[in-house]
Amino acid sequence: MGAALLVEGLSAGYDTRPVVHEVSIAAEPGEIVSVVGPNGSGKSTLLGALIGTVEVLGGRVALDSQDITGWAPEDVVRAGVGYVPQVDDVFAPLTVRENLEMGGYLLPAREVQPRIDYVASVFPQLAGMLGRRAGRISGGERKMLAMARAMMLQPRLFVLDEPTANLAPAVANELLEEHVRGLAADGATALIVEQRARAVLAISDRTYVLAGGTLRMSGTPAELLSSRQFVASFLGGSASAAESRPDERP
Amino acid sequence: MSLLLASFGFGLVAAAVLAIATVGFTLQFAVTDVLNLAFGAVMIVGAYVAYWINQAGITVWVGLLAAAVVGAVLSFVLNAIVYAPFQRHHASPIAVVIVALGLTLIIEFGLQSYVGGTSVSYTMSQGHTLQAGGLQLTVVQLVILALALASMVAVHVLLAYTRLGKAMRATAANRSLARTCGIRSGRVVTVTWLLSGALCGLAGTVFGMNAGSFNATSADLFLILILAAAFLGGPGKAYGAMIGALVIGLATEISAAYITSSYKDVVAFVILFAMLAWRPTGLLGTRS
Repeated sequence: MGAALLVEGLSAGYDTRPVVHEVSIAAEPGEIVSVVGPNGSGKSTLLGALIGTVEVLGGRVALDSQDITGWAPEDVVRAGVGYVPQVDDVFAPLTVRENLEMGGYLLPAREVQPRIDYVASVFPQLAGMLGRRAGRISGGERKMLAMARAMMLQPRLFVLDEPTANLAPAVANELLEEHVRGLAADGATALIVEQRARAVLAISDRTYVLAGGTLRMSGTPAELLSSRQFVASFLGGSASAAESRPDERP
Repeated sequence: MSLLLASFGFGLVAAAVLAIATVGFTLQFAVTDVLNLAFGAVMIVGAYVAYWINQAGITVWVGLLAAAVVGAVLSFVLNAIVYAPFQRHHASPIAVVIVALGLTLIIEFGLQSYVGGTSVSYTMSQGHTLQAGGLQLTVVQLVILALALASMVAVHVLLAYTRLGKAMRATAANRSLARTCGIRSGRVVTVTWLLSGALCGLAGTVFGMNAGSFNATSADLFLILILAAAFLGGPGKAYGAMIGALVIGLATEISAAYITSSYKDVVAFVILFAMLAWRPTGLLGTRS
């Protein structure tokens, strides 16, 4: 069962200098919630603050009402959060199997192999390359390995930082349409940061727009696509506007 | 031919001593992110611990175990009170290297002020000399070879087959990602200081056995060989360190037989420079 994520007034940054300012987002169990925005808008910093790699300067993060604000990454993962970073997302010198074993580091030893078998069935490409070094597989395969590694612990919340970055369009679409949707279909909640706004809108239940470290808009994909401001700023003005208006902020 | 075989034998033993030290050094560097140039100083403390036990009338082989324990504890303490605080304050790598050099001086000259400047030797028999063709090795040299082999096998089993060893490799490869897998990297780093420190103490004692005599600063030059072997194999690569130690150990001893022993350490660096010019990441290193 997915977890409910509640982020309230979160400020986070580096060396006490905030990069994101008082951001509030929410995800219900089983939802796919996306955060879109231009480069440098603070999307990855926001995720870093959620999973404990970036300093929280204010606000609160709760997972199913449990306050996990400022927890260390190793404790956040124990709370039920799986994380796929944008870069350096696998242990390159380790084999694919060893990467999965590290993903299942917190599992009892007897449960590791059955779980590897399961994630290898979700990502059949990985099944045939368990003995290969992760640094020697293709970009798409690496991203699937990173997703599979995060799936090893069956987290209730997946935090995905630009999972389609540097992937060919076909591979990116497969990853979003098949595998990210699959996480939600299995009951997990997914919080996904993406630059491919159009592609991620297609799979999201709700989307937040971040720019300059602050939240600018939020709404369902249909609501956002009906906003001329959103379409002009983030989709190059090519989406047809609909009647409804999203929750726009100044 | 007999000269070649004899020097090959010396080279094997030198490589064995070097391998124990270099694997400990490179493992420490890979997992902890500290280029601990005080490694040689800790080695010599280990050598003296074995010496003091030996002087009390106890066999040096017991002293060797004590040296491993002291090496582990001293390395753990150095990290806890020196390196870890500097890392917490985000000290640059070069600052940590300078701190390590300072530690080397503090340890070595502190030790020297206690033990004096004269060299010491273990009271031990070298045992029979065994011959095979032109190859001559004493029983003690064979034991050093066996110790090195056992250490390398133990490190291999640890890294390749155990949960801790894989967590050490994962932490070395990407500490941030390791933490998001639930690995408590701080504990992994602490265990690494203990294990690599034990290898350091072990290396110090077998270094003392192989050298015949040693003093408080004897490991200074040996540290240079450790660096050469570590960077030849690829910094942070345990298996590379084994290969690097074998190449450097054999090359230095064989060149000493055919050129002059004064240049044997120079030969090690000629090999290293040639290697780095051809492959800057070392034999098993990968481009970041």
